[in-house]
Amino acid sequence: MSVTDISHRKKFPAQGNIYLPHIVVIDKIIEETPSVRTFHFNFNFKDGKLRKEFTFESGQFAELSVFGVGEATFCISSSPTRNDHLECAINRVGLVTNALHRLGVGAEIGFRGPYGNTFPLELMQGKNLVFVGGGIGLAPLRSIIWNVLDNRDKYGKIDIIYGARSPADLCFKYDLDSWNRDKTVNTIITVDKGDKNWTGKEGFVPAVLEQAAPSAKNAVAVVCGPPIMIRLTFPVLEKLGFTPEQMITTLEKRMKCGVGKCGRCNIGNLFVCRDGPVFTYAQIRSFISDEY
Amino acid sequence: MTNKKISKKDIGKLLEGWSREFTVFVPSKDRGVTEMAKWDGKDTGFFEWYRNTVIPAKSSFLPAMEKMFSFQKDTDGYHLELSQDQQKRILFGIRPCDARAIAIIDNVFTDSYEDPYYVSKRKNTVLIGLNCTNPYDSCFCTSLGVKPTQSVDVDLMLTDIGDEFSVEEITDKGKELLAAASVVKKATKADDAKAKTVTAAVSGMVKRKVDTKDIAKKLQACFSDKDYWEKVAANCVSCGICTLLCPTCYCFDICDELSKKQGTRYRRWDSCGFSIYTRMPMENPREEKWRRVRQKVCHKYEFYPMNFDVIACTGCGRCIRLCPVNWDIIQILSSVPAEQPAKKKVVSEKDVSYRY
Repeated sequence: MSVTDISHRKKFPAQGNIYLPHIVVIDKIIEETPSVRTFHFNFNFKDGKLRKEFTFESGQFAELSVFGVGEATFCISSSPTRNDHLECAINRVGLVTNALHRLGVGAEIGFRGPYGNTFPLELMQGKNLVFVGGGIGLAPLRSIIWNVLDNRDKYGKIDIIYGARSPADLCFKYDLDSWNRDKTVNTIITVDKGDKNWTGKEGFVPAVLEQAAPSAKNAVAVVCGPPIMIRLTFPVLEKLGFTPEQMITTLEKRMKCGVGKCGRCNIGNLFVCRDGPVFTYAQIRSFISDEY
Repeated sequence: MTNKKISKKDIGKLLEGWSREFTVFVPSKDRGVTEMAKWDGKDTGFFEWYRNTVIPAKSSFLPAMEKMFSFQKDTDGYHLELSQDQQKRILFGIRPCDARAIAIIDNVFTDSYEDPYYVSKRKNTVLIGLNCTNPYDSCFCTSLGVKPTQSVDVDLMLTDIGDEFSVEEITDKGKELLAAASVVKKATKADDAKAKTVTAAVSGMVKRKVDTKDIAKKLQACFSDKDYWEKVAANCVSCGICTLLCPTCYCFDICDELSKKQGTRYRRWDSCGFSIYTRMPMENPREEKWRRVRQKVCHKYEFYPMNFDVIACTGCGRCIRLCPVNWDIIQILSSVPAEQPAKKKVVSEKDVSYRY
């Protein structure tokens, strides 16, 4: 896909009012870190039909709303292979996320989605996979990691390299534990700075990745994390022999509508909401913009 | 095709007839700023003063503030109630540039996901154009392929030929509307000739020109020329007027309003001129003013044509007329450097360090 190529955009069938959210109910809240909580939710009885029909793919995002406060964009952090409920990991940083954190189990929120493109799972089949995550960047990665692990025989070797600022900032510790126990996966967890109880690795994600040196042969790397980490990870992957086509990431932009209308998430002529959020490094490099 | 005509003094009768079935909107200055507003049922004096409205006709389809739905909470949880405007409407007196602008933004609201609010209003509205016979000094429509007098993008087009309007039927929707109106007469050959004379006279009245050929290519070449964009943005005060009142700007924000246990979700015009427009908790890709000005210019003349094959500008001149600091899009488009200064990588790696 070049910058001008918009041929992949499909015409969506009429699906009623695109701005009208579905009502979902919070089932469970997990305290991940001091500022991150994972919300498990499900469609309520009013949307019973949808509960059965709803599907999404790893990489897609949704617009969650707290009625009376507003709407914000979150990636779906659960895997479509475990479709009995949906999960979003939410960092408390702004108006809507603060309001979400004030909600408890049983509260109703608005849900629009799923929107955006997906991780290229078909292309990844039969390949070795390297997942590189930092901080809350594990949220979108987690969806695809479980997706892949639930179809383990379709993929080759799997490396997961995940880091956070401190042991307290590690998200999804229960998942990290189960990946650690999984003998078919090579999981490396690192923190920038450990505390007195920390026995694991210390060091920045790009450096740990360089040390681990996963082979680029027949491999795909998926990188999600804070922009600075992604920026420093790509050169390391290049050094390891990955081509720009073998590196995949997701971009983050402020969004309102999620469907390519409200305007703010553009990079050049592309809209991150509709043409992304998943891009290869090759695509990002071809953007004429310096705005991502 | 033979035209029809209507006497100016019969316009009131004509609108009155239509009012029975439609809500009729005409140019008005009742609120202190000219806009298309609901006809009061008697005043037809607007063609004496009307050149073009300050608030573009897009506001009839994408209002400055629009209720999307309301929500209410009871013991059963939240209930949402859709809000959709289904009234049949006539916009009377829309200028060719604004009609073109609506046709341009139709692309956005019908692309991929269809926007229900915009599309339903669009379907329920008959556009009646009034050819422009008195363009402003700041108008440059002819550079964007729009003529001050033309017969596209509307259902009926009127041309001022003295004591009468010559009426051209463009769509079936328009034809139907005329069929029921008894005050509309058949135009004579002399009337048609008069209309032609008017058209010919106006085409030379749009004085300002800008070369839009290859503009997308030129803008692409100077995209990272930070020096150029800083110069261009220097006097901009980020008030957002040039985008909010632009007939082809369509960006919007979605907000909630709450009172007790009931609330409203509405959308309202937003502008890429404001830094909050793209602000995220950790970073903002367009914090600096020059990036926002660049976005505005490039979106209209480079990105939009890449997506929809048409420049998102009709040369209505509002952004020039209404700018508080005399920012002039024509000057900017004419001064885009033809080629990137050799080997000058202006946006350095350091500038984008907080990005990827």
